[in-house]
Amino acid sequence: MELLILPLILGLVMLILPSGWCKLVGGLGSLASLGIASYHLMGFDPLTQVVMSSSIDKMAFGLTLNFGYDSLGLVMIMLTNAIIPLILLSNWNRELAGNKLFTALVFFMQLGLLGVFTAQDGIMFYIFWEFTLLPIFLILYWFGAKENNKVLFKFFIYTLVGSLAMLLSFIALGINAQSFAYQDLVNVQLSQKMACWVMSGFLLAFAIKIPLFPFHTWQPATYTSSPMAGTMLLSALMLKMALYGMMKWMLPLTSEGIEVMKWPVIILGAIGIVYGAVIAIKQNDIKTLFAFASISHLGLIAAGIMVFNTAAWSGAIIQIINHSLISIGLFLAADILEKRTGTRKLDELGGIAKIAPRFGFWFAAIVFAALSIPFSAGFIGEFILIKELFSFHVLIGILAVSSLILGAVYMLRSYQLSMFGPPKLTSFQDLTWNETAVFVVLSISILIIGLFSTYIIDYTAPAIRVLTAITPTN
Amino acid sequence: MDALIVIFITGLIGLFTGLLKKPTLNLIITLCGLAVAFALQLNYGFYKSPFANYQVLEFNVPQLYFSLLAILFTAVIVVGGFGYFKRDASHTGDYYGLLLFSLCGAICLIGFTDLFMFFLGLEILSIPIYVMVGIKKQDVLSAEASIKYFFTGAFATAILLFGIALLYGATGSFNLNEIRTVIQSGEYHTSYLLIGMLFMLGAFLFKVGAVPFHFWGPDVYQGAPEIVTAFMATVVKLAALVAFYTLFNITFQELGYFWIGALYFAIALSLFLGYLGALKQTKFKRLLAYSSISNTGYALFALLSTSHSSLASLLIFLVGYGFSTIALLTISMAISNEDDEIAAFKGIGYKHPFIGFIMLISLLSLAGIPPLTGFFGKFSLLMNAYNNHLWLVILALISSAIGAFLYLRLIVLSLTKDESDKSIALNLWQYLVLSICAIGILGGGFILAI
Repeated sequence: MELLILPLILGLVMLILPSGWCKLVGGLGSLASLGIASYHLMGFDPLTQVVMSSSIDKMAFGLTLNFGYDSLGLVMIMLTNAIIPLILLSNWNRELAGNKLFTALVFFMQLGLLGVFTAQDGIMFYIFWEFTLLPIFLILYWFGAKENNKVLFKFFIYTLVGSLAMLLSFIALGINAQSFAYQDLVNVQLSQKMACWVMSGFLLAFAIKIPLFPFHTWQPATYTSSPMAGTMLLSALMLKMALYGMMKWMLPLTSEGIEVMKWPVIILGAIGIVYGAVIAIKQNDIKTLFAFASISHLGLIAAGIMVFNTAAWSGAIIQIINHSLISIGLFLAADILEKRTGTRKLDELGGIAKIAPRFGFWFAAIVFAALSIPFSAGFIGEFILIKELFSFHVLIGILAVSSLILGAVYMLRSYQLSMFGPPKLTSFQDLTWNETAVFVVLSISILIIGLFSTYIIDYTAPAIRVLTAITPTN
Repeated sequence: MDALIVIFITGLIGLFTGLLKKPTLNLIITLCGLAVAFALQLNYGFYKSPFANYQVLEFNVPQLYFSLLAILFTAVIVVGGFGYFKRDASHTGDYYGLLLFSLCGAICLIGFTDLFMFFLGLEILSIPIYVMVGIKKQDVLSAEASIKYFFTGAFATAILLFGIALLYGATGSFNLNEIRTVIQSGEYHTSYLLIGMLFMLGAFLFKVGAVPFHFWGPDVYQGAPEIVTAFMATVVKLAALVAFYTLFNITFQELGYFWIGALYFAIALSLFLGYLGALKQTKFKRLLAYSSISNTGYALFALLSTSHSSLASLLIFLVGYGFSTIALLTISMAISNEDDEIAAFKGIGYKHPFIGFIMLISLLSLAGIPPLTGFFGKFSLLMNAYNNHLWLVILALISSAIGAFLYLRLIVLSLTKDESDKSIALNLWQYLVLSICAIGILGGGFILAI
């Protein structure tokens, strides 16, 4: 339970602490939460499940206070607790760093995310899922671009509508099960038609959050109008909630409907892959470009998850981790460009690599990671996903492969136009120590995950086998 | 019964001490009276009451909680309105007295077992409200609201009486249990009973302020002083809803095939007309009135289900809704928003973080965002109705999204950065009230755990 309590306490402490201390205490606190997560990681046997709390008697309406994690949940917890310090670190020399309200909201966000990843009760999952909306909304509202009300309302209402559909699905399952405990919900037998309806409820919530192709319209505007840390929280962590939700909740709970729902979702994912990439190629605003790139990457992961076998899911997990790390790097780079040049327009940038060689090098490292070159984590993840989509259907596979080619086009274009060419600026401050540190940590982790991805695959395999209901065959 | 008498006597004392024009003394007396009544009600059934044989008023477990909640709401409203009373010292005694008399009516409505007591309670509840709505004699809006409420209320009462008469004609009794036995046995005059029931349904929809009998709401809420608005939106609504439940969901349960259809439409319309009407408002209390129409729609879900937990869900819902409404109106009083403009809320949360926090949680609770009480209320109400009324549940969820938009606009307005130099100060009483409301809004969901 200390996993959840620590961010809550940190968030509350931030609110009462004098402003000067916030940065230091916040940073140390986030490291402490990383330490706790690592401690959990050390003592965890992938073949088991850990119960953090469970209620003996059910409350009214079959609510329970069950929390715990399996190896999939633990990977997500690790990811969250590792990304939060990175976000605080990349913010270190920006004006938001000392803001106590901001730091507190980041910790509340962490609380919500950890709650989502540890909930073993449908309504608890829903509560934390909705709870994450509040801190991110306030971060975007207070610290985002001026006059972004319209964008934020769209974001809030969109995600809320999705969540309400999910609530309806949970109620439908809970009424059948007379309980909201995870295992009881999994055990519910549904007719195929009913399962499809229930799954569509979940899918609406997850598709909006991921976002899948026709539900993505909130995303680019929200990304561009939010502060760097907000974008990072959204793309590196909040979207992963939806992918995790698909794996842990949607598919195991409504496995009766998978055969029917597989096709539409995979096709939407495939459309998203191409659509996001094509739009990204034409973008002039570097943050919008990365936002569309994110739609493309996540479409691939979502399609891979819907293939519903262990291999595809292993690839999806690698790719989830990889995408979190990459998006931190990309949005940090975008913010560095914006803060130091005052513009995000690619045609107004150029030649920065000459003036700021260190930034040029590390930005290139992240761009190459985003291109999924061999030895990076993305290579393994995308390779597995594309392979599985190919064996699912050749046409889908071809569409998925296009993400690699088109990805190279938009990523290299964004790098080339911003960093090479004749310098349009006379001075550009090179990376500060904290920014360098973030880039170094990101690059090294991407490399390590790329080289040793089998560890993660083996580690999460037991949980995936349970979730995809495939019995181990040795 | 004992609590009722204590409240009534306190009200009488309040009327007389009002002559001294010492608001603090009045407040203390009123709070003491309410505390005694609360304690008596809390121990209901555990001590030997001199009125133990008085069968007309009975409190079972859920009704008991509702009466406790009504007393609590009244106490909070009285304390929160203290600043207002101090400014308007000449009316202090009237306010305290009338609020307490009205509370007596509410308690009668919560515990009645007899249509005679029911009618008595309804009138005791309503008449002081007619007076209090019009208490700002110099104010045109207040006078208009009072006249409007009085006339429409009188019509509703007349129709209700007609309904009761027909019901008596059909079943031959005023006692709820006897009526229920007659209905179960099927030996009643069908057309009298059904028409009488329909009349009563109309009168009830008027009292709780549901579509299509909602037109008085916005005008009356706007014209009345904030304290009276808060009282109407919480205690009056609570009492009317519980009476509605007792009469229809318990007594007329067997005739559900007849009245549930009518109620279905009333709920569906309330859910949408309230929020849609609120979107265009520029006056704060009018907005609250419209949003309360939609919230009434949610509360009426309790009537759709015969399960035991539906009263409990209504209780949780009303805890969330009531404390949110009281908090919002207290804030409106604190910023002395005489013109009642929504624009006056601009930036207050940014200037005064405590107010900002309270605005945030109370509006989010109304919008039904977890983990606040409003979410648990809506969740449990919808949960109960899911099996038999799936479409209505879906409609409720859609309307909830519209409501979220409405409340979000208010949140954004109050949290926006405002550079003007108007200052906001809360007095001690208001801090107390807002803190109590915050506890109610944050912790009400734990009622489910009990």
